[in-house]
Amino acid sequence: MALIQQREFLSKITPFTELPNDLLNQLADSMDIVYLPERTEITFQNELALLYILIKGKVTEYRDEEVTSHYSVRGFFGDSAILEKSQSHVKFVVDEEAIAYKLPAGKFLHAFNEHEAFADFFNASIVEKLNRIHETQQTATSTEVMMDTVISAPIQKLVSVTQKASILEATQAMTDARSDACLVEFSEGESGIITSTDILKFVALGETDRINAPSGVQSICNRPVYSVHEFDYLFNALLKMTRFQIDRLAVRSDLGFVGFLHQKDLMSLFANQSGLVLTKVEKSTTVEDLIGIGEQVDAMVHNLNRKGIKTHYIAKLVNELHRKMIAKLVEFILPETLQEKVCLFVMGSEGRSEQVIRTDQDNALIYDNELNAEQLTQLHAFTKAFTENLMKMGFPPCPGNIMLSNPEWCQSQASFSQTVEGWFDESTEGSFMNAAILFDAEFVFGESHWLNDIKRLLIHLNIKHSNFLRHFAIQSLKFNTPVGFFGGLIADSESGIEVIDIKKGGIFSIVHGIRCYALELGIKATNTHWRIKALMDAGVFEQEFGIELGETLNFLNTLRLESMLHQLDSGVELPDNKIRLAELSHMQQDLLKQSFNVVDVFKKRLSHHFGLNGML
Amino acid sequence: MSLIERGITFFQKNRLSKQKQKLKGESYEYLFNVIPDEFVCFDCETTGLNTKKDKIITLSAIKVVGHEVLTSQSLNLVIKQERKISADSIAIHQIRNLDVANSSFIYLDEFSAIQDFLAFIQGRTLVGYYLDFDVSMVNRVIKPVLGIDLPNPRIETSAMFHEYTRQKYKRSCIEPNIDLSFSHILKTLQIPNMGQHDAYNDALMTAFIFVKLKRLLAEGNKP
Repeated sequence: MALIQQREFLSKITPFTELPNDLLNQLADSMDIVYLPERTEITFQNELALLYILIKGKVTEYRDEEVTSHYSVRGFFGDSAILEKSQSHVKFVVDEEAIAYKLPAGKFLHAFNEHEAFADFFNASIVEKLNRIHETQQTATSTEVMMDTVISAPIQKLVSVTQKASILEATQAMTDARSDACLVEFSEGESGIITSTDILKFVALGETDRINAPSGVQSICNRPVYSVHEFDYLFNALLKMTRFQIDRLAVRSDLGFVGFLHQKDLMSLFANQSGLVLTKVEKSTTVEDLIGIGEQVDAMVHNLNRKGIKTHYIAKLVNELHRKMIAKLVEFILPETLQEKVCLFVMGSEGRSEQVIRTDQDNALIYDNELNAEQLTQLHAFTKAFTENLMKMGFPPCPGNIMLSNPEWCQSQASFSQTVEGWFDESTEGSFMNAAILFDAEFVFGESHWLNDIKRLLIHLNIKHSNFLRHFAIQSLKFNTPVGFFGGLIADSESGIEVIDIKKGGIFSIVHGIRCYALELGIKATNTHWRIKALMDAGVFEQEFGIELGETLNFLNTLRLESMLHQLDSGVELPDNKIRLAELSHMQQDLLKQSFNVVDVFKKRLSHHFGLNGML
Repeated sequence: MSLIERGITFFQKNRLSKQKQKLKGESYEYLFNVIPDEFVCFDCETTGLNTKKDKIITLSAIKVVGHEVLTSQSLNLVIKQERKISADSIAIHQIRNLDVANSSFIYLDEFSAIQDFLAFIQGRTLVGYYLDFDVSMVNRVIKPVLGIDLPNPRIETSAMFHEYTRQKYKRSCIEPNIDLSFSHILKTLQIPNMGQHDAYNDALMTAFIFVKLKRLLAEGNKP
């Protein structure tokens, strides 16, 4: 009875979670509790080292008088002294009255030597540590269907025929297997799919005499076949269905197709918020419906983050929703006669699918060169209504006025191209920013190829103006990475609270730097993670570096997201990009430092690659 | 004069020597060898509130040295009950008959348990919240055998809290109405609640209260 809470406390702290019960209990039972009044100083130089684990209060670590770390509840320190990793001149000062457990060094070393996974934690690389955090969070919470793999869902048997089959044969194969879909295998290794709807359409055409014709399946099958890997997340499967507006996906393994996944089966698993919001957008019929959904998206983000789902997955889902909401809005308020005469797209973070909390809107519109005066008036009214309604849906206005209600971002095809060419001629900071924002654009509504044309123009102009990219790239070195010479975090003090602007400090450098590489190579993907993947595939980044950079970006974005959610909770209307150091656990601070080191390595690489060294 | 010094005034010393004479047998003389600056916080859960008739079910004691609460050396005793534990006391500390039966080590009689308690406390100062009750429970067990009550110096945490609160109001002429409830003390001193209400936890909380008040009062006494 006695020491239960002590054991429980320890069992919830990574990496003690790795220890088997008996060893964990041994450690817990050997702990004493110490009361540390404010301003107590602890050094490990002369006395025997100890591991302190905070129950309450705050402690700051100093290395040569520079702040290197902050610890709060469940944070622990002393491990590097025990493991003899740290040099001298390290001291710990109690900032806020603390109560801490003291674990004898001998017990800690015993666990360290006995248990590999536990020891690994203290030697692990940043990627491993990050993954472990997500894993612990994920196992700690109830099983979230979204994060289950496709294979755990009810998958329908695979039915397939060759391209030589008749429609009758395909239909019989489907009936035998009680399936409503059938794959068609083509000799060149491609595949198509026939569903019961296709059969119905065929019957409705009244050409049933063709039912026995050899190779009849070719005339009614659909290509390409949208598929999902059996080990992919169910959440990605749902995304694909929503995005392509289809009811089923083929499931594939490494060896080939294995079955079908149905939306109705999937939705029955997703009897929760996230699935519900997706369908709600789909079913909305008025602008008011859309306004209501905005809030639900925020609640969903909260939920998913708490469940330990990686931020870029959340961002993907949220941005898919945002685009759907925007497309619906256009559908509702744009006069039908204009619907085929425009191309509307989102840019910046929304385009990269990296905006989780709606902090601004970047959007633009290209219209047909031949609009008449009346149509132009209609369009003008639309742009005004669009921006207003988007604000009601919770997208704050863009501070730089990069919105289609601004005539600069609502132009005819011809004049838009001219504007873009103008950016390359002037080379001002503003034109760099515009090019950057536009390069991240993703199509939302209308004539998608107009946007593709503009992007091609952008890549072409970049090649033509060989100096452009260097000046473009230097922007990513604009802000200093907030780490000190000894690896400590450099924070700004805002009325006594230590804060770091995490966007300037790290996120911007990675996002913009990667954008430069993408522009150089003409990579079409807009999301930074996908761009990194493409750069790894192209051999520009080694696997290890690419993964590390991606995970680092993810971690920084997660901290930003958590800080924003926290700000929203405390009533801030438009959250900023700052994180408050005191709110981070020691582990998070440790990872933050390592993340900034990765950012610095990336910046050096970037300077070298684009030859920026002489320019600063 | 600090509280601890105040605990051993001349008058008490006199009383102690008389008590020592009454002690049956020399084997418990160590109780009189005061260990300075070492304390034991303790708490009992009992079958009821009558110190003459009711029995100790569990007793937890934790040493405190300086700013440290030595939980790794805590003493936790469970004593087998002849009579069933009354429903009322179950409601307070949630020890069911089953729990007592399932504890890994159970003392069969109160005295053998208290013997271990005496060996644990030695001559240390006893600290508790409404300590009189817990000490009386122990005295009932030892008096018939040892011939004396516990001779150890005592510190009452609620008294410390009272003094601390009064110090804060020193400059005002109003006699403050001081809430001495356990929960209020915890709240005022901002001590985290570690868990459910049992002997060990109460002893642990009391230890925190003691350590913190000891410092606050020492600071308050500084010129």
